[in-house]
Amino acid sequence: MSRDRLQNLIPVLLIVAALVGFVLHQTGVLAPVEGLLVRVTVPFQEGATAITTWFGELGQTARDLRDLRQRNEALEEENAGLLLELVRLKEVEAEAVLMRDLLNFAQANPSFDILGAHVVGRVIGRDPSNLQRYITLDVGLEEGIAENMPVVTDRGLVGRVREVGPGWSRVLLTIDASSSVSALTQSTRASGIVQGQADGSLLMHSILQNDTVSVGDTVFTSGLGGNFPRQIPIGQITGVDRQDWELYQSATVQPTVDFEHLEAVLVITGFEPIEEDTSPEAEE
Amino acid sequence: MTIYLVIPLLLAIALLQATIVPHLAIWGVFPDLPLIIVASWGLLRGPREGLTWGFVAGIAVDLFAGAPFGAATLSLTVIGLLSGLGATSALRARLILPMAFVFLATVLYDMLFLLMVLISGQFVPWVENLLRIILPSAVLNALLTPVFIELLRIIHQRLGREEMEL
Repeated sequence: MSRDRLQNLIPVLLIVAALVGFVLHQTGVLAPVEGLLVRVTVPFQEGATAITTWFGELGQTARDLRDLRQRNEALEEENAGLLLELVRLKEVEAEAVLMRDLLNFAQANPSFDILGAHVVGRVIGRDPSNLQRYITLDVGLEEGIAENMPVVTDRGLVGRVREVGPGWSRVLLTIDASSSVSALTQSTRASGIVQGQADGSLLMHSILQNDTVSVGDTVFTSGLGGNFPRQIPIGQITGVDRQDWELYQSATVQPTVDFEHLEAVLVITGFEPIEEDTSPEAEE
Repeated sequence: MTIYLVIPLLLAIALLQATIVPHLAIWGVFPDLPLIIVASWGLLRGPREGLTWGFVAGIAVDLFAGAPFGAATLSLTVIGLLSGLGATSALRARLILPMAFVFLATVLYDMLFLLMVLISGQFVPWVENLLRIILPSAVLNALLTPVFIELLRIIHQRLGREEMEL
């Protein structure tokens, strides 16, 4: 057989071999041989697969890295946005709580015509001197604020308006030494004058010797003198000073209002205070 | 230094005094920056500039204060003038003397300030204020004086003998 004829027969032979193999495989005759072949080739297969997978993963890792970087950037951006949103929501929540408390106070005291006002930022509205205790509010003449109007929070008396301008007003705090308020104790109805002290505390003086004053009792405005409405909380008695030879007794009062952290206050616009001398002697 | 620079500078200091400084309280009192600066500048530059700085700083403080307008202006002008008159080389040279001067200046300033408040009809508890506010405040201001006077000394040395333009 010539070489050319043999080469022409190869395809036919291969086809025939394939057909024979197929028939043998179908009949199960080739199974042991097939098993042996598979066992020999498996490690190579595994190796090749591992290498292929490794290269594939390498490529995938590079793509993942790029994707992750992009995603990380996007997430960081989103996170920054969410943080800002969180801060904003916390502020809104705090303000909502504050406003709710003020609203509750307004609803609990329907006789007061109350105008809400924000202190012009706690930091903006402080007095530059150690000797005076004022705050500045962001409401003034345009909002109907007038001198001597009482200023409160849901926790109690803050002070009264001493100066008004367009869009601003200054409030003399009850803890200022020049401030004095006619007051009553809640349980024993002992009356006296609550006056600010130089160190920012409160002292209730001019209490009659016969009156009973006890630590823990709450002090309210009495309404006497016409400067403030009745029954606004001022503070709680923390100490009593009673000397037999004195005409009056006095008591230290812890203010219910946290003057260091005032953020929003209410100006009672419906109350008409009686114009008078602000000195404590005059009020007494 | 021109007055056009002095006015915004002292306004900024007064604004600082009415915003951030009250939150820096120690012993129940906070530093009085306008006072320390006016007294220090007067000691360094003499009566003319001390007076002008005291006047401008006083108006700036009065803008933010609840006290009757003019109380801080008058008190700081007096302090500026006195510190300017005390502007001797001995006072400038050592730190202890400016500190002692600022201590006394704080007491005088606060007393003048309270006198103005009293004249305006407000009640003033003198002894309480002196013991609880004025003296601690004077100590605090005196302790802070070296920082401010050294900072101002740099400006003073750069300006030399140049007179303030009004």
